[in-house]
Formats: sequence, structure tokens, C-alpha cells
Amino acid sequence: MATLRVAKPHDGEGDGEVQVVEGAAMSPWGPDAALAVVGKSHPRLEGPEKVTGRALYAYDVRLPRQLVARVLRSPYPHARVVRVDTSAAAALPGVHAVLSAEDAPEIPWYEDSRLFDRTVRFVGDEVAAVAAESVEVAEDALRLVRVEYEPLPFAATLEDVLRPDAPKLRPDGNLAGEPKTYRRGDPETALRAADVVVEGRYSTASALHNAMEPHGCTAAWEGEHLTLWDSTQSVFTVRQEVAEKLGLPEHRVRVIKQHMGGGFGAKQIAWKHDVIAALLSRRAGRPVQLMLDREAENLAAGNRNPTRQHVRLGARRDGTLTAIQARIEQATGAYQVGGEASNVSGMYQTLYRCPNVATEQVVLYTNTGPAVAFRAPGHVEAAFALEQAMDELARVLGLDPLELRRRNYAAEDQTEGKPYSLPEGLSLCYDRAAEAFGWDPAGSPAADGPKRRGVGFAAHDWAGGSGHPPGYAWVKLNADGTAEVVTGTQDIGTGARTGLAQVAAEELGLPLDRVALHLGDTATGPYSPVSSGSATQASIGPAVRAAAADAVAQLLAAASATMEVAADRLSVRGGRILVDGDLSRAVDVADVTQEIAPHMIRGQGERGPNPEDRAIRTFGAQCVEVEVDTETGEVTLLRVTTAHDCGRIVNPTLVDSQIIGGITQGIGFALTEERVVDGRLGLVLNPNLEEYKVPTVADVPPIEHAHVGVPDTVANPTGAKGIGEPPLIPTAPAIANAVFDAVGVRLRDAPLSRSRLLAALAAQGTDGEVRA
Amino acid sequence: MRRFDYASPATIDDALALLAGGDGAVRPLAGGTDLLTLMKADIATPERLIDIKRLAELDDAIALDADGLSIGALATLDDLEDDPLVRQLAPALAEAAAAAASPQLRNMATIGGNLLQRPRCWYFRSSLVHCWLKGGTECQARDGENALHALFDQSPCVAVHPSDLATALVALDASVRLRGPAGERSLSLGEFFAPPTDDRRTENVLAPDELILSVRIPPPADNARGTYLKAMDRKVWAFALVGVAATVARDGDRIGAARIVLGGVAQTPWRAREAEDLLVGQRPDADLFARAADAALAGAAPLADNGYKIPLARTLIRRALAAVTADGAPPA
Repeated sequence: MATLRVAKPHDGEGDGEVQVVEGAAMSPWGPDAALAVVGKSHPRLEGPEKVTGRALYAYDVRLPRQLVARVLRSPYPHARVVRVDTSAAAALPGVHAVLSAEDAPEIPWYEDSRLFDRTVRFVGDEVAAVAAESVEVAEDALRLVRVEYEPLPFAATLEDVLRPDAPKLRPDGNLAGEPKTYRRGDPETALRAADVVVEGRYSTASALHNAMEPHGCTAAWEGEHLTLWDSTQSVFTVRQEVAEKLGLPEHRVRVIKQHMGGGFGAKQIAWKHDVIAALLSRRAGRPVQLMLDREAENLAAGNRNPTRQHVRLGARRDGTLTAIQARIEQATGAYQVGGEASNVSGMYQTLYRCPNVATEQVVLYTNTGPAVAFRAPGHVEAAFALEQAMDELARVLGLDPLELRRRNYAAEDQTEGKPYSLPEGLSLCYDRAAEAFGWDPAGSPAADGPKRRGVGFAAHDWAGGSGHPPGYAWVKLNADGTAEVVTGTQDIGTGARTGLAQVAAEELGLPLDRVALHLGDTATGPYSPVSSGSATQASIGPAVRAAAADAVAQLLAAASATMEVAADRLSVRGGRILVDGDLSRAVDVADVTQEIAPHMIRGQGERGPNPEDRAIRTFGAQCVEVEVDTETGEVTLLRVTTAHDCGRIVNPTLVDSQIIGGITQGIGFALTEERVVDGRLGLVLNPNLEEYKVPTVADVPPIEHAHVGVPDTVANPTGAKGIGEPPLIPTAPAIANAVFDAVGVRLRDAPLSRSRLLAALAAQGTDGEVRA
Repeated sequence: MRRFDYASPATIDDALALLAGGDGAVRPLAGGTDLLTLMKADIATPERLIDIKRLAELDDAIALDADGLSIGALATLDDLEDDPLVRQLAPALAEAAAAAASPQLRNMATIGGNLLQRPRCWYFRSSLVHCWLKGGTECQARDGENALHALFDQSPCVAVHPSDLATALVALDASVRLRGPAGERSLSLGEFFAPPTDDRRTENVLAPDELILSVRIPPPADNARGTYLKAMDRKVWAFALVGVAATVARDGDRIGAARIVLGGVAQTPWRAREAEDLLVGQRPDADLFARAADAALAGAAPLADNGYKIPLARTLIRRALAAVTADGAPPA
């Protein structure tokens, strides 16, 4: 079934550009499709390995003669590296390789910098590295490296870099690229003409990913072949980038990732640790493991860009939005890094129907670690502002916040003029969330004592979840009637291995326990794209289904011969081949595969393109109830109800897991998570799990997932879209709106810390504090 | 972590001999939940650790006698949280232990080590900052990021004492029994904790060659009750933004004696004596508690970012007093 047609049409438009067309048409599984495996909860296939500690993560790799590497990091936010003397470190017994700007290859890295650059641009920037026989020896060796720095002026916070007298961090200034502007209609005129205008200045903190598993890898050479066991969201991206950096052909680089303790967007690219480990390993002639510790993880391996957002909404008295204006400032850190996609302005342009919209997005360099994508990058930040502004507008107009949103419903992507693949998706989310929660904006109990309750609502759209074609899968049918599915994608902890196996089992007509799913290895699987943008199931599910369908077609053709029945009368279900759907005349799949063994059925499948005339998006709506202690500023979440258009729900348990995890991160973003930077020192003060406070289970209330579960048959033939990122997007504004509902103060800065809440309550005179 | 030697002596005398003359380069090791963290961060760099978990005379026993409750220095926070005697006679301590850290840490951390833990100030804990408390000349927190720092100015350093137990124990009028080369001595915790000085940049007066043997809590007065309340940035596993321990003994319908101690506001547990004085001899009511709370914070000198701790502390004081004077509250 594999089809790949390459054309180079000379038609005047896109003249002479190569076009690749692939993907045989498959009829989608519709809403009424009778599916046996897809749609059912099934525990993760690798669950037993994980809970018994046997699953092999990057850190668990132990090769003979393996060394451990550590990286010396800049103590200065901005400095010239004048001289690095590694001689004492290299001479320390147990040290086998050392690298620094003095002797490392001049490998291009971020923008115009080098792997070990002569300019360090944040505290934590890489200066030197050693490989040694133990962590202790490696750390001792780092203490022996003598570095002469020439400190340079710096600006480590967004506030500092926006000051008129801020130092110039780059020859061209502090702007990371030209401001991104978008405009439709005439928002200035519309704002002047609006019946109601709400305006607010919002800010969001830099959040740190803090995946449980830090970045890191184990590198080993066999001759000129390099193998990397890396903690990554994209084995193929890492292979391509590492091969390029090291000047190796791609077939000599193998990247493996079997299990992962989270990435959240920060592991989409080859990071310096990959190439440093490979270079040290080559120098030492021994395998090298380089895992980041928590501090390095939080300084140098990504963060969510802090933002300041100035928002204006204009509306008619009936709630119809007439203008949306947003000016956004955000800090990208020391470098612009691949995998960064913080399109903060996007949601302003698309979530609500509005003819007059202008956004301006200004990205600035700061002397902190590079910002990278973090679970719904941009939309999490934008939702905090836009969804509070909508709440405020609803209150000004005396409208139910949900009703206001319904009155401004967008059924198409207004930036592209394309209808959504499931135009009613967001509306269904509104219905399901409101119904399951019992949404009643007037229903908060009257004030009584210091503790007040409130409810909040927020919605979101998201550009992800559509899947990124292309991507490939193979299916092998073994002689015993079991199947192996091979893809080059990766399971970054979401349960993709299980969800994809379910798709394969469904199409193959096999029970799930007769299907094995192999992934996460560039040497054994065909190309698959990065697992970002909530894309894995939507990218590779259709490829797996296509490969399975290809195998089934071959199987039925073989069965037609062995059973002497026309192929079109045959089908597979529950591991048996049925004639005219009749179980009594069925044979086991194994009967056919045994018959032809050792000849083998091999299916191939590809992920066809997304439709050109529709915009595939994911949507969601969330309701929360909070209790605010007006005397202590403590916010307690009582419950969260969430509904998401993620298309078909392939495995409800796995989807619930994503929802619980996303909302948990949203609670952190709303209430406690904030990278604290001392602007005078250029120093991150809390690059640890002690003072950077992620939520604990005690902070997370009961979470109810109100299923939408309508297959998006336009999106792809499985009808499934992504759910990894969306649950986080509306959580923080829903909480902020609920806090407003409870106590009447609007907190426009995230996180909603105690000090901010207590200060706002005191300013309003409703802090409830009893004074003598 | 840097290389260090390790010794596991059998007796206290052996341990003291190993500590003698070490001048801080030799450190006792019990639960290790703070010391090892400091060593990993290169803040503490001892040359030698003396494991005191196997000393014959040092234990984790919790016992009651005529002088009150005696708690061996090796008792873990988990022991304190669950011990029936502690829960009955010193519930403020059991509550403080339960509110501290995480279950994993409470299983390891000892009461002795808990009282000796160093501040959590992020400048102190950064290996890149040579702050005053580490021997430098400047407190970077004083004009820096100080939302978690002190309300009461006691020294050049504005870090706060992180121990929940210390706050409760001062309210319980507890003392520590210490042993050093010159023998044993007992100090009330009010004397034991002392703001750091130019010459002693620690939060207590324990000599480098001394060990804590035990903690003693005197028998509670008749009709005494106590509690510990803690405000944190999340529901569990965080150091106190503000902690309040209160013990109140009733004398008929009036307050006979009271101790109010604040944590998270100073370099030592902060005893609110003005508030205590104001309570004694009065009939408990909400107005009295509010006046006591105001008195307790009257001398506060907030830094740029920590002013929120004042209303927070006032509220916790009022609530703690209400809890320990409410009818039907458990005795202590």
C-alpha cells in the first residue's frame, strides 16, 4: 500500500519545486465504527517494567568501561572566556578526556555561537567538560579547571533588558528578530467605537520544565559508528543534528530512546550534552554518560519564556467582540533555540470571532538560559491574559462568561480563512464541561467567614494536535500469528506505545496481546517526526493503521488461497479470519501465517498529508472551583472539570493521564511556579525542586474529564487528535477567574502568589484581617 | 561532592574525641538530610564525617519522667509525629513534625539535626554567592529577592530559621542537653538559638566539638494546650513562610501563662513576648487575640518583598490562640 510519488511540476506557481505525494486514501473510522480495541482503556504495555524499575532510561545504560561526564558552567551571566587551563584536570588520575574552548572542535551551535564559545551568555553556559571514572573524580577535575573570565555588562530579566539604559547584549541590540506583527481589520477605530473596552497589563513568570528525568545521554562508539541513548522527544532530529555537528553520515549515528521521564517540549533537539558526550567518548575511547543534574537542567536546558502582555478588548453591549489588541514582550534567554515556538500572539488571533485584531510580539534576549517550547508554548501564556480579559468583559457586561464566549464563537481559523476540521469542537467542550461541572456563575455561596469560594471558566484553542506528516510504520506478521509494529517515533512518557499498538491491533483484527510495538530507535524504525505539538498519536496512528491495513490485505489474499474463498468475503476479527463475517467458518490468523512461513507478510504504511482546505485544531474548556482564605492568601482548589476536543479517544486511561498531568502543571503555573532571578547578580536563585515549587499531589484536587470524544474524521483516518498539551492551557486563567469570583480581586500576574493576593486583598480592603 | 573521610565510632567519648580540634572540618552525621545537601552544593566542605547513629549512649528514645518528656537526639521526625506521648503531652511538636518536609525526609531526619539545620536562604544555598553567613561581607538578600526572608532584624543576615520543630519546642519551653569535651550542659532553646554574629556565623551556640544528646520538654502546666500552625507555598513539602506555635495555660476563665513563638520571621525562633504579656491574666476572646497578634508584629521591619508575612503571621497567631482556648480543644 505504500505509495510515494515525487513530481517536479513546472506550472509557473511554485515552479520547479519538488512535491511529494503519498498516502493511499483510507476511509476514516467514523463515529459509529464498531471498534474492538481502540477506544478501550488498556494499561500501558510497558507499565510493569516501569513500576518495577526495570525499564531502561538513558541514565540506566551501563556499558563496559563506561565513564561519566560533568560540565563546567559559567558562573557569570555574561563574560568573555579569556583563557581555560585544563591541564591540572586532565592530569588527575581517573580523568580520561577533557574539552573546552581551547581544544574543542569549532562546532557551530546556537545562532552564531560555538559548542564551547568564547563568550558565555548566562550562568550555566557550558565552559568545559570532563569524562572520568566516577562522578566524584569528574567533579574534582572540574574544580581544577582554571578559567579566566572578563565579565561583561548583562541584563538577566525582562524588566532589566527593557530599560532604556540596558546594555547591548548583541551587536544588533537586544531584539531577537524583528517584532512579529499581525493585523486584520482596524482595531484602533473599532476600539474607539466600542460600547465597552477592557484593558489590562498581564505578566507570566518563567516556568521551568522540571521533567522528572533530566536531559542526558550515553554515547558509545564502535569504530566510526556512534550510538546515543538519549532522553529526547525526537530520535531522528537528534540523529540528523548530531551527524551534522560531527560531520558524520547519518547511517553511522544511531539514536535510541525507549522510555522517558518527560520532556514537555524541552527535548526536541540535539542539545550540547549529546555532542559533548560523543566527543568525550571518542577522545577517551570509552563509552561516556552525561546526565544533567537538576541545577544544570534548570539553568541551561530550557524554560518557558516570561511575558508581559498588554491587552485591550472592545465589544458591543451584547457582548460581540469588535476589537482585540495585544502587545507582547517576552524573553527568549541568551539564545534562540530550535524547538522554540512561543507564539504568544496566536490565541488572540484565533480563539474568538473578531473582525479587528492586531498583535505585536517583541522577543528580547536576556542573560539567562535559552527559552524553549514548554507544553503548549505561547498559548499557556496568552490564555492567562486573554481568558481573564474575557472574564472581565463578561462581568462588565453582566453576562455569564460562558455565554460571552458562545456569542463570539469562531468556527474557522480567521488567520487562514479555513474552516476547522471539527467546527463544533469547542462548542462541544463548552457543553460538556459546563454540564459536568454544573456551571452556574451565580452559584457561589454568599460570603461567610474568612474563606470564600468561587468558580472560574476558561477556554482555549491550540495549533497542535493535528499531527505532522510524514511518518512511517511497518508491520510484520510472524509465523505464529503475532504482529510486530515498527515505527521510528518515540514514547515520551505519554503511553504512545500503547495507543499505537491499539490502532495496529484494531486494524489487524488481532487481540492487543498479539501485537508488539517497537519504537525509539533510528536504526530499526522508519522516519517519524518529533513528538511535539501533541502529535505522536495523530502523526503515527494513521501510518500504523495504513501499515496494518496493508498487512491485512496481504493476509486476506493469502487466506483466500489457503481457504479457497474469495478475498472480498474475508475479514479479520479477534485473531480469526472470518468468511462472510461468520465465526463458525473462521480460521486463526496463525493458520494462514504458519501455512506460508517462513515467507512473511510485511505491511508498510505512511502518514498522508493533512487536508489543505481545513484547519485542524484542538480545543478545550475548563471549570474550576476554588476556596480562598482571605486572611492567609491561601488558595485551595476544590475541583476541576475539563472537556477537550482531541478527536477520538483511543485509550481513555491514557487521555486521563495527560489531563491530570497537564492540569497539575497548570496549577503550578497559576499558583507557585516561578523562576526567581536576581537581576543584580544575573543569577537564577531557585534552580532546584526545593524553592521552585511544582505542585504535589496534595495540591491537586479531584479532576473530572468530561469526554467529548467525537472522531475528527477530516483530520486523519483514525479520527484521533492530540491531547498532550491542551489540558494545561486553560487552567491558570480558570483559577484566576475563580479567585476573582471568590474575592473580587483580579490578579494579572502569574503566579498568583500569597504576597500578590494578600496585597491585592489589602488594597481592596477585603483581606478580612481582624485588627484590634 | 568533595572527598571526605568517614568514621563510625562506638561511643560518645570516641565521637567527641574525633570531633575535638576539628574546628568545623569534622562534622557529626545523623540523618544527613541537610548536611549532605549542603555538601553536594559545595556549601559545607567537611574533611571528615562522624557517624553518630551507632553511638551506644545516643538514642531515639522518647520517655516520660518527673522532669517531663525526654527525646533522644536521634528520634526522627516520623517518630515524633506518631509517638503517643508526644501527641498527648506536646501536640504542638507532633504537629510541627507532621508539617515538616516530606514523609521520606521525616523518616531520615532527626530532631537533633533538625534543630541544627542551616537556613534555606537561596543566596546562602548558592555556591556562586559568598554571602555574609558563609563568611563574606554582604547579605545579598537584604536588598535582593527577599520574599522568604526575615521580618525581624537580628544580624547582618536576613535569612530565617527553617525549623518547624524549633518553633514548637521554644513554645514548649524545651531545653537541650549537650555534651562536649568539658562534660554535659543543658541550655534552654531560647539560649541555644542565637542570631549569628561576626565571630559565630551559625544560628546556635553549639560548639563544633559538642553533640546534642537529647531534648527535654518540661511537664505541661495544668490546663495547658498547644498547637502549631504553618503557612506554606503549597499544601505540603515546603518550609514555613510563617509558622506559629502557641501554648496557653488556663487559670480559671483567664489565661494563666502563654507562649507565642513565630517561625519563618527571624534567624531564630521568634518569641513574641509583648503578645504573651498582653495575654496573661486576660479572658480569652477574639479582640484579645487580635491585640496580641498586633503586639507580636509591632516591631516587624519588613524587607521589600516580605511584607505579606505580617498579616499572615497575625492571622496565624489569632487562629492558634483561638484553637488552644476553644472549649473542647484537646489538652496539652
